[in-house]
Amino acid sequence: MSLPSQTSSRKRSSGWRPSQQNEAYLFLLPSLIGFALFVLVPIVGAFVLSFFKWNLISPAQFIGLDNYQQLLFQDAVFRKVLANTFVYAVSIVPLQLISGLIMAVALNQGIRGLELYRLIYFMPVITNIVAVAIVFQWLLNRDFGVANAWVWQLAEATGWPIAPPDWLNSSFWAKPAVIILTLWKNIGFTMVIYLAALQGVPESLYDASKVDGASGLQRFRFVTIPMVSATTFFLVVIQMIGAFQLFAEPFVMTRGGPAQASLTIVMYIYQNAFEFGRMGKATALAWILFAIIFVFTLIQTRLQRRWVHYETGD
Amino acid sequence: MKRWLFVATLVFSFVFSLSLAQTTVTWAMWGSPEEIATHQAVADAFMASHPDINIEIWSQPWGDYFTKIQTLWASGDSSVIPDVMFLSPVVNYAADGVLENLDPYIEASNYPIDDYWPGLLEFGMYDGHVYGFPRDIGLEVLYYNKDIFDEAGVDYPDETWTWDDLTAAAEKLTDVSSSGRVNRYALGMEGGKYQLWIGQNKGSILDDMRNPSRCTLADPEAMDAIKFFADMMNNNYAMRDANLGQAGGDAAVFQSGQVAMIIQNASRISAFNAAGMNYDVAVVPIPEGGQRSASAAGAAWTMSSFSDDKEAAWTFLSWLQSTDGGQAIYTSSGEILPALQSTAKSDAFMGASDTPSNRMAFITEGENAKVGRAGFFPEWNELSGSIISPALQAIWSGEATPEDALPALCESVDAFLAQNGYPK
Amino acid sequence: MTRRKRIGHIFLHLFLIIGSLFMLLPFFWMLSTSLKEAREVFTFPPQWIPSKLNWSNYTKALTAMPFGRFYLNSFLVAISTTALTITTSSLAAFAFARLRFKGRETLFLVYLATLMIPFTVLLIPNFIMVRYLGWYDSYWALIFPPAFSAFATFLLRQNFRGIPVELDDAARMDGASSFRIWWQIIMPNSGPALAALAIFLFLGNWNEFLWPLVVTNSAEMRTIPVGLNSFQGQYSVKWELLMAAAVVAMLPIIIVYMFAQKWFIKGITVTGMGGR
Repeated sequence: MSLPSQTSSRKRSSGWRPSQQNEAYLFLLPSLIGFALFVLVPIVGAFVLSFFKWNLISPAQFIGLDNYQQLLFQDAVFRKVLANTFVYAVSIVPLQLISGLIMAVALNQGIRGLELYRLIYFMPVITNIVAVAIVFQWLLNRDFGVANAWVWQLAEATGWPIAPPDWLNSSFWAKPAVIILTLWKNIGFTMVIYLAALQGVPESLYDASKVDGASGLQRFRFVTIPMVSATTFFLVVIQMIGAFQLFAEPFVMTRGGPAQASLTIVMYIYQNAFEFGRMGKATALAWILFAIIFVFTLIQTRLQRRWVHYETGD
Repeated sequence: MKRWLFVATLVFSFVFSLSLAQTTVTWAMWGSPEEIATHQAVADAFMASHPDINIEIWSQPWGDYFTKIQTLWASGDSSVIPDVMFLSPVVNYAADGVLENLDPYIEASNYPIDDYWPGLLEFGMYDGHVYGFPRDIGLEVLYYNKDIFDEAGVDYPDETWTWDDLTAAAEKLTDVSSSGRVNRYALGMEGGKYQLWIGQNKGSILDDMRNPSRCTLADPEAMDAIKFFADMMNNNYAMRDANLGQAGGDAAVFQSGQVAMIIQNASRISAFNAAGMNYDVAVVPIPEGGQRSASAAGAAWTMSSFSDDKEAAWTFLSWLQSTDGGQAIYTSSGEILPALQSTAKSDAFMGASDTPSNRMAFITEGENAKVGRAGFFPEWNELSGSIISPALQAIWSGEATPEDALPALCESVDAFLAQNGYPK
Repeated sequence: MTRRKRIGHIFLHLFLIIGSLFMLLPFFWMLSTSLKEAREVFTFPPQWIPSKLNWSNYTKALTAMPFGRFYLNSFLVAISTTALTITTSSLAAFAFARLRFKGRETLFLVYLATLMIPFTVLLIPNFIMVRYLGWYDSYWALIFPPAFSAFATFLLRQNFRGIPVELDDAARMDGASSFRIWWQIIMPNSGPALAALAIFLFLGNWNEFLWPLVVTNSAEMRTIPVGLNSFQGQYSVKWELLMAAAVVAMLPIIIVYMFAQKWFIKGITVTGMGGR
């Protein structure tokens, strides 16, 4: 694991020659061409396109800020997908961090079989999201899915009037279904990163706190959590960016339904662009998403000063 | 002199080879592998009788087809855009100018347009011109599993059945265990087919499906129809829409015996026959005082306005839509109810296979078919996909009542129409 | 080990085993369903072990769609995109880390700034760009646009700067060209970072869904995730076949992962720290 390290301040090469100028551009050329074509021009293009109404086929029509204005003030679906996406972000990120940290701490106790556990927990991370989402869709089927089977069996055996969730047919449960899938898929990632961070915590700190008579829970609270806070900050930021851009999980498992209850911003972008022929509106939506992510990352960066503990004298 | 001879030979052989050269017509459609095999058989039959035209098939599953073909047009490259395409609804695409107006070709070749089911050709029209020929009439009938009916002691449905009879039968056919888990639903029907019930109850979605001015889903006729369908689901008689999709679709659950009845078009016949199912079909029950309201709609064969060889495309298209040509082949494959009445009433359809035996159900529904399930204006996809369907999904999932949801839905529909400048 | 600690470990194992079962259950259920007969799929209570192993589900699933082609496409695209990314970004990173030229800091800042732009913003303009280039539904579209990553350039630049500059100087004294220094000094000294980056990129490209979904069209150009999604989109889903297809889609990567666990974890975590 390496947080982007401080750039080393080694002394500059003394062998600098003016001819390096042209040489440098030659080295940059392949990257620059692609970068210009697939990053810079598209950024400008996306900006311009967001002021147009265009379905790819008939001529584009300049409509000024209409796309933004419509989305922000008139589009009820936009409000819905915005709310959905926030629900995903505020539930996925903390759940992911807490469960990942617990798993990492459990694995960090010097127990046997660490490699095997890590192999298992990390396996979903490398698997294909489409395949996995299809499997979960099947697991969560109301009447025939495995997830509900034991509840039904219990109900039948005892006669209690309990009914398991109607996962993908319920506008309440569809979101938890997506969240469970996301957690299952990514918990190994968080766990492995925390594990690496934990292994960097000096044993002496724990020993010192033991001498002071701290309980296990106290050691967790006052040693572990602060010592991994830099990792936590990093994970919060990237998980949040990921959660705001959730697409494949709901796209494959729920198609955004029922009644748009699990529809996300990125799915709505996809629908507008590729199903409704609203290229301009879709790009405007993408910029709004960018603004949201940007603001949240900024807030996180500001807040981190209060709680992130960086080792000094490193 | 020798040189002249050489040039003359060259020119001659060039012209000669041109006259022998085949034109390739690219032919686009969606379908399952079995359906594509039928399309291939049709292409082969055509090529056998028209050696100068080569047919090349381009196919996609239904879920991707429309998105994909739209992006092909967007490329504007006539070498990749199919010449003859399966489309539905034609109006959306005709409005974009990507389809060829077929009127001049029809006139020039005296193509018999009166043979289509009443109202059906309207589905291929835009602005008063024909842009596509519906291949078939995708009307639904009621499929029922005889074994389950026998086991539950329910009489087979017939043309006298009303909604009340359907509900009464459904109550007996549904099998719910003590826990509330449903072992078997009476009916599997996609939520998206709700318009059938509305049409039967003489209601509508919009006041005018071409140039709408208001939503009519909250009017009593439509409201009662939606209530009827919602009650079927709320009583566990019909599988909820999302569950049906999730369990694999109506054909899958009908075949596995999870539902006793489905409401579907003729496309499932060959699969059910191949699986050896004991089933038959009947007309769809209608409400007291209602009307039959099968959908006079069907995906249509259209010609691309980008096509490089429109004469060849027309030759193929008109052959495809004739009783002697494609219509008969499709029909005897048992997958469609043909668009041409002469083909439907011929042995090609009526005697295609032993099951289902009550093929008259298709003819009865066909003669009473109505237009108007989908909007004939470009923004319909967005209106339906982004506003109407989600609101109805909330009803199908049992989370909203029609009384609460429909007036609110109509408000959003009216707002959408106003925003997009309707009525025009 | 103290007695208390030993009991603690037993509980820990119990906890971790339950967790493992939760992680493995979807895989097991997928495998089990993929081997069932059609009529066993909907039984209740669920049948965990198929009555007999129907391997024919696999042949049926594989012939229903051109899976071989999907595999080839995924492989080709993932390998080419990864190779292209590493080549272009290591060249650029070398220039940023070792060469002096006008506008170096500004240009690097531009690269860094674009890291903040999420891919979603670039999706639609890139799609339009691909159409203009005439690349729609081709390998070009699948390989080139995702191959220019400011992130990889940034990561490698950081790494290259950690290599002692004295090595370059010595080589320059001997008259080595910059290109040679890049190829014979910088690259060989960055082995672990390059390997980690390569695994990270390969997996990302192998599993990518949205971009191939948007720019491919014919069955011949689909990658595994897109192919699998369209398999599900067909009229009627046969769960035993769909699960067989899912197994086939996942298996190779899982097998490679089992043998090279450490490298996978390293690749994803070391590199993944910078972008998801």
